[in-house]
Amino acid sequence: MGSLYAALEIGTTRTVLAIAEAEAGKRLRMVCHAEIPSSGVRKSQILSIPDATQSIRSVLREIEKKQDSLGSRVTIGNAFLVVSGQHVLATHAEGQTLVGGSRVGPAEMNEAARLARQIPIPKGRELLDIVDQDYALDNRGGLSDPKGMSGNVLKLNTLQIHADANRVQDARSAADGAHLEICEPVFAATCAADAVLEEHERKNGALVLDLGGGSTGYAAYANGYLASAGVIGVGGDHVTNDIAAAFQTTNMQAEELKTSTASAELGTYPAESSRVRVGGVSTLMDSRTISRRALDTVVNARMKETFTIVRETLEEQDLLHHMHAGCVLVGGGANLREVESLAEKELGLSVRRGKPVGIDGLEREKDPWSYAAVAGALIYAYRNDEGRSFLDGILGRFFK
Amino acid sequence: MNGDSPMLLLGIGTAGTRIARGVLRAFGENLRYAVADTDASASGDGDEFVLLGGDRLSGRGAGGDIVSARLAAEDSIQNLDSKLEGVRLAVVVTCLGGGTGGGATLEAVKRLSALGIPSIVFATLPFMFEGEDRQRNARGVMSMIEDAANATFFLPLDKLVCGADVMDEAMRRATDTVASGVTLFWRLVEKPGYIKLDADRIRRLVQCAGRGRFAAVTTQGPDRAAEAVDALVRSEMLATAQAPVRSVLCGVLAGNDLRLSEIGTIADGIQQAFGEHVSFDLGTVNDEATFSGRLSVVAMLFESGGRDAGAASVGGVMSGRRQRPAKGTLGRGRFNNAERTEWHGEDLDVPTFIRHSITLDF
Repeated sequence: MGSLYAALEIGTTRTVLAIAEAEAGKRLRMVCHAEIPSSGVRKSQILSIPDATQSIRSVLREIEKKQDSLGSRVTIGNAFLVVSGQHVLATHAEGQTLVGGSRVGPAEMNEAARLARQIPIPKGRELLDIVDQDYALDNRGGLSDPKGMSGNVLKLNTLQIHADANRVQDARSAADGAHLEICEPVFAATCAADAVLEEHERKNGALVLDLGGGSTGYAAYANGYLASAGVIGVGGDHVTNDIAAAFQTTNMQAEELKTSTASAELGTYPAESSRVRVGGVSTLMDSRTISRRALDTVVNARMKETFTIVRETLEEQDLLHHMHAGCVLVGGGANLREVESLAEKELGLSVRRGKPVGIDGLEREKDPWSYAAVAGALIYAYRNDEGRSFLDGILGRFFK
Repeated sequence: MNGDSPMLLLGIGTAGTRIARGVLRAFGENLRYAVADTDASASGDGDEFVLLGGDRLSGRGAGGDIVSARLAAEDSIQNLDSKLEGVRLAVVVTCLGGGTGGGATLEAVKRLSALGIPSIVFATLPFMFEGEDRQRNARGVMSMIEDAANATFFLPLDKLVCGADVMDEAMRRATDTVASGVTLFWRLVEKPGYIKLDADRIRRLVQCAGRGRFAAVTTQGPDRAAEAVDALVRSEMLATAQAPVRSVLCGVLAGNDLRLSEIGTIADGIQQAFGEHVSFDLGTVNDEATFSGRLSVVAMLFESGGRDAGAASVGGVMSGRRQRPAKGTLGRGRFNNAERTEWHGEDLDVPTFIRHSITLDF
């Protein structure tokens, strides 16, 4: 057995737990994953720790069952936590050091990186990641590698990604209740990007949109580095809520309409399917039909607005026109019919759904993009664990 | 101030205060009113002034920022309570798009709703030239105000200026138009003639009135009644919305020379113009001193409510084509207690099709 890693995502719609194994000389492989509907979570935030704990217990039981069916079982003691929600923010920080007219060497570059990492994040926040962007040497900006160049002041631009510390702690508390230790929180959108983007896409500029249940995360790459990241507090749950409000259905009925029938684009159904049957809320109520066009209008309005917000956010940062490799959709929202087509129109980019490429094991999944964030968290765990001993990997770090 | 009146005029923000003062001037007598602002320098109204967000903004005003104003109002909206004792109907006048009006009106209306006081909101919307941001801010808060208020009149300033070109004159004319309309409404209730519309009647009418359109015209001469109807029917203010009219509230204000035949002409003309199936209510004011020789007609058209409001709503779903779902189904739904998500002043937890008034073809 190689090194094992686990990642947990307590999402608005579902709680997902996944295990990956890294064997020497082989690619990282997701060997098992399980998911159950979440409870006690709204808009990517935990509203009830006991409910969230129950969800984690359930998903732990579920993954044990799956492992049993596969003939091997390990007890998961800790996992990386995939974090999303509109409380996640990204802010720029720069570390600068004096070069004094000499050539820039590794020492100066390391010093700039060290100083950038010393810049404190705002009070009440927990750091999820610091990402190096580009260097500036005096007035020359946008340098990817200033080694050997001469100048006076070297600056390293970084992006600090941080979350509300209390929200992260709530997730830890929920996991504690299920006897699962959180070893490190990581940001869903950048994890998903790690999983689905190829290196050439990062270089050419690409946008990853994580269409989650409670929120929509984004990670925008330009010139090979993460240029911007963030979360918009609108997700698939809003689509469900809009449908429920429009047609006076239960949330369950609305969710069913969204996943089985609704389209993000208008006029995509044949004429004979212009009405959709909705079952009665109880046995005392008859089923009824609703207009497919009205349903799609509700969904189209919400999705169009979501993409517009993303577009405006990136335009404000002068980033949209850098996304030459287009946009990659991940998360459960990427399953919505015609969502790629609508995103293409609204963002003005080529759009595809993102299958994780940095990890094996999801080939048989019909919607592998739904697992992009946990897959990315596992890749992150693996990369961070490289260099540790094999024994540490198995016993010391992730499994009790 | 008339502290016994069951109706309160409430001005929000600088522009709302200006309109409220206009009504006060035009009404000419004691009128129960209050004004609420984040700017303490607007406290010329003495006891009737309510400062919002004193701790947060120190009375310096919101500086055109609707988020600050909204937060300020959230902090201190209970300050209004002392002005609301015994109030059974509140008429709110405000200006949306920016500053205190754009940010605090929603909180004020929500407070009224929480205290069980029905509210009618007259809100002006920014000029087109004020830019997309202010337009978007106004649009964003409109649906939320509609959700909390019983009746709303959104009045685009572009349509209120009546051709005035000079900025100062245009603003004055727009304010006067709103103020005179509200004044006519007030007179209808407080100084009724032989056909009365008392506060309780108005209160019942607006309970589920929804979004409305509003216009007032004044005519004179032998054909003044027919001319008034003609002017109202052609009024741009009454033609701005697309949804069908479900109820009409009409006020006829004149001197002692008001004839029964004129009332008949107006009632028939308006019912004919807006459909005989609509719920129709009419009241008169006879005030020789103010209206001698003149006839003023104020018309309020509502897109929901009226006699058939209940019949049209089956299990909360209105039959046929509709502009909006039945009142009470609007809003944040499952996000009621969740952290709010806003974008350009819009509450993104409210369904997009509601906020953007998108027609659903059922």
